[in-house]
Order: sequence, then C-alpha cells, then structure tokens
Amino acid sequence: MRETFSKILVDLSQANDKVLLLSGDHGYGLFNSLRETRPNQFINMGVAEQNMVGVAAGLSRVGFRPIVYGLSAFIPIRVLEQIKLDVCHDKLPVIFVGDGAGFVYSHLGTSHQSTEDISATRAIPNLIILSPGDRFELERCFDLAYNSSLPVYLRLGKADRGDVHRQSFKFELGDLIAIKHPQGKKKVSLVATGSMLQMGDRLCRYFPDLGLISCPSLKPINKKQVIELCSKHDALITLEEHSVLGGLGSILSEIAVTLSNINVYKIGVQDKFSEHCGSYEYLLKEHGIDFDSIKVLIKKYL
Amino acid sequence: MNSKAKNLIPNKIRKNILDMAYNGSTVHIGCALCLVEIFAVIYRSHLRYDYYQPDDFDRDFLILSKGHGVMAQYACMKELGWLDELQLLNYFSDGTDLKGLSDSRIPGLEVTSGSLGHGLSVGVGIALGHKISRTSQKTFIIVGDGELNEGSCWEAIQFAGHHNLNNICIIVDKNNFQAMGSTSSIINQDNLFAQIESFNFNVCEINGHDEMEIDKSINELFSKTNNKPNCIIANTIKGKGISFMENINDWHYLRLNKYLYEQAILELKK
Repeated sequence: MRETFSKILVDLSQANDKVLLLSGDHGYGLFNSLRETRPNQFINMGVAEQNMVGVAAGLSRVGFRPIVYGLSAFIPIRVLEQIKLDVCHDKLPVIFVGDGAGFVYSHLGTSHQSTEDISATRAIPNLIILSPGDRFELERCFDLAYNSSLPVYLRLGKADRGDVHRQSFKFELGDLIAIKHPQGKKKVSLVATGSMLQMGDRLCRYFPDLGLISCPSLKPINKKQVIELCSKHDALITLEEHSVLGGLGSILSEIAVTLSNINVYKIGVQDKFSEHCGSYEYLLKEHGIDFDSIKVLIKKYL
Repeated sequence: MNSKAKNLIPNKIRKNILDMAYNGSTVHIGCALCLVEIFAVIYRSHLRYDYYQPDDFDRDFLILSKGHGVMAQYACMKELGWLDELQLLNYFSDGTDLKGLSDSRIPGLEVTSGSLGHGLSVGVGIALGHKISRTSQKTFIIVGDGELNEGSCWEAIQFAGHHNLNNICIIVDKNNFQAMGSTSSIINQDNLFAQIESFNFNVCEINGHDEMEIDKSINELFSKTNNKPNCIIANTIKGKGISFMENINDWHYLRLNKYLYEQAILELKK
C-alpha cells in the first residue's frame, strides 16, 4: 500500500507541476522516489504542522495542488482548526494524508496513536473523508481526492496486511462496496473501513454466513445505499480501528436509527487510550479488536 | 493611483469605522482605529490590484491576520467602492454579510481570521506560491502584537526566513495591548525587533500613524537586495484618533452610545 502511495505521488507530480507534497518532517523512506524524480515538488515544512496547513491553504489559493502529509495523530488532530478555517471554510482542494492511523505506532504510545480523527473531522463542513482498506481502494480514493474540488482527508492505517480486492476497480464518493453477500436465514454483514477490511475478510472465512461490505468513503456516505443495505439485513456489524464514538459505526447507525429498524453493532475502540506498550497485535487485543476478541463478539451478536 | 484610492484619508476611514461601530453596536473599536494609516498607505501606494475585481488572480495580497481590526479594512473597502453605504448602515443586522471578524468570502478580505495566528501562515503560503511561479506579486500581512503570542506565527516567521520569501512584508501592529491588558504584562515583547531579525528578516521600526514613514519604510524594505523577507514593527496607539479611547484598553470591548458616538465624530471634525 505504501509503495502504491509513493508511486501515485510520483505519477501525479510528473503529470502536474502544480502538485506539491508538504511533509511535517515525516515519511522517512516513503518519499525517496519523489525526491529523486521531482525534488522541487517536495517541501519538508519542518516540525511545524500548523504553519504547514496554513501554507497549503495559501498555495492552493494561488493555483497549486498541495498534498499535506503527516501522521494522523497530527494531521488532522493537531491542526483541526487550520483545516477548518484556512482550508474547508474556503473549499480549497487540499489533500490531507494522515498516515499510521489507529494503532500502527503501537510501541510509541498515545501521542502517535489516532483513534479520534474520523470523529473530529466529520463535523467539519466541506471535508471529504476517505479510508481505503487496501491498495486498490487507495488508488481509487486518491483518484477521487485529486479530482475533487473540495478538501479531502485521506486516512491511511495499517498497510502491510495484503489486499482484499483482486484488482483495480471503480467506485464513487459515498459508495458502499459489497464484497460478499450474507448467507443463511439471518442476514448479517460486517461493514469495515480501512485496516479493518482485511480483518473482516479473515472473519468471513471463519463465519461463512457473514457478508462483507467495505466502506472507504466515510463522508460523503450514500444514504440510499445504507437504507437499501438495512432493508436487506437483519443486522450490521461495523469494524473500525477508531473510536466507536463518531466513526463508521456512528455514521451507519445515525442513518439506520431514523430510517430503518435493524441493529448496528459497533466494534471499535471503546473510548479509551492504550494502557500498555506492545506490538500492533497486542494493542488490538488490549482494545478488544483483534481476531479472537471480535470472534467472541460476533458469536454473541449472531 | 485610481481616483477612488485618493479617498483613503485617515479621517474618512475613522469616520467609517465609528459609523459601523455605532450602527452595529460593535466591540473591537480600538483594534481597528490603530490600523487606519497602515491600511491607507498600503492601499493607496503599494498594493497592485484591480479596482473592479478585488479577487483578481494577479493581485498583490493584503492579509489581515489580526481579524479584530476588520472594521478598518471595511472602512477602506467602502472608499474603494467595494462596499456600499447601506452595508455600513446595516452592519451587524440579521442576514447581512459583514461579520465582526475577517471572513475570506467577502471579496477584498483574504483570510478568515480572528482565531489568531492563521493569516500569517496563509500569507506565507501565498508568497511561496508566487515565488515558485516567479511572479512579482507582493503579500502584505498585518499581525497584532498580541497575536504574536501564538506559536503558529513563529512557525510561519521561521519558515519565511528560511525560504527567503522577500516578497512578503509583515506589519506588526504594535499597540502594546491585547484583550485583557498590556502586552508587557502578559507576554513581554521588549525584544521583538531582535527576535524577528534573528529569523533572517529585514526589520524596521516606525511610527505606525505617520503616513510618510510607513510609505518610506515599505519602499526601503522592498528595495533591499539581500533576499530577506521584510517586517515593519509599527508602533501604534490603540484607539488612535479619539481622545477618550486612546490607550484605554477597555475599548477592546466597549460599545458606543449616541453621546459618545457624537463626541467621537466631533473630535474627527476638529
């Protein structure tokens, strides 16, 4: 997924010299080929995220296409007000890439972990939020982001767990992507975003009756598709490496609660910070969103 | 100079500010009165812009980062013909467009500010873009001395210095007050000149109400050939021009009643 991201940046920069990648002194290794091929289109803004977003807004106003890169603990969380006022208020087409979302930096602690970013950005008008689950979704998300006239927050989580889709494909902003239809009497599907798509894929192999839906576009969300989904299901189970407050589970249940009567079970981070240091897998377990913990939850819901 | 720009004389601008403040029963009067001469000189003699299209792509940018002084900019925009009499008369009425802090959606205003420490970075981004595109456009950014409490301002200053953005001129409106008191009692700025200079800036310090001095300092800074960004520390008086407001920080928040409005207008006529 990271190689794909790196390649997209190089391709875009070559195609359009108005594309500028701004990094807050992050992305070690990730931008090597961009820096080699298009050195003038990479600017290390230093460890100064607030200024980076303001500068991106200024560059966008005079015709550039800035892509602002940082860890999602900083972009968007540290600079939420700059994103709101300098960029979204004026509908400037700036792309924010928040990398390492969720518990990717499991050993580094809370400062580098990010499980509130979707919730915090969702309430900002004009901002599109995309959360790809594998490299094929990333390709399309970046395509949508680059061709959007509005600002975009692109959330990148754990990225080394392989693909779920088999090839590049097209979807539009707001689309829910059906990967596997539910079987059996009781129709239940997992709806996953970002890194949890891969987890959902694994879970579906263990629970063959479960359906699987990917949700890379968190805002906008196609309400019609959500309602249709609800009408064909007895329950939905959302999976996200993010707080259950304000994330994917909230997005779907906000619609379901007014327009349908099915249950939306929300699996995600239960409104708490990580307690301990450990591997990525360890942290998922601590938060009850590793494979085994989710298995138990699903059995309960079924 | 366009004939309209000749209307940008301090007394007229102050009159417009007082009219708006009285009509809208607004606060932040002192914050606007100290900016009058700075705005007048920049619009009159230094900013290149299209009188008929304030958001023309090729314009120079005049950014009010210190959004609390927005009435001074409205007052100039009225003289330039970008705002009409009615907009001043109906200031703060329900459903109108002009807000109490700078809003970028109004043609002529460049950024949304008032939450402080934003406009400087946006201005630096604009100037960086112009530099990359090799245009000769200039960016003027007005910041308050109280605003310089914001860390983001210093992020922008160090970035501008590092990248030799010699197409910007930051003007610090140094009126020595912020919302709750004197700057010296809150975050001391005795070393401001040296601090900004140390970030690779050309800095000069002037009387921010002396139009000749403002004019001369801008000319001198932009004629330097050392590639450094520029900064003017403009010593100003909060509430300038109205005796009962000058250096009385309560006029950050006080509003005009009919009697005080009339007194203030009388003072302008003297």
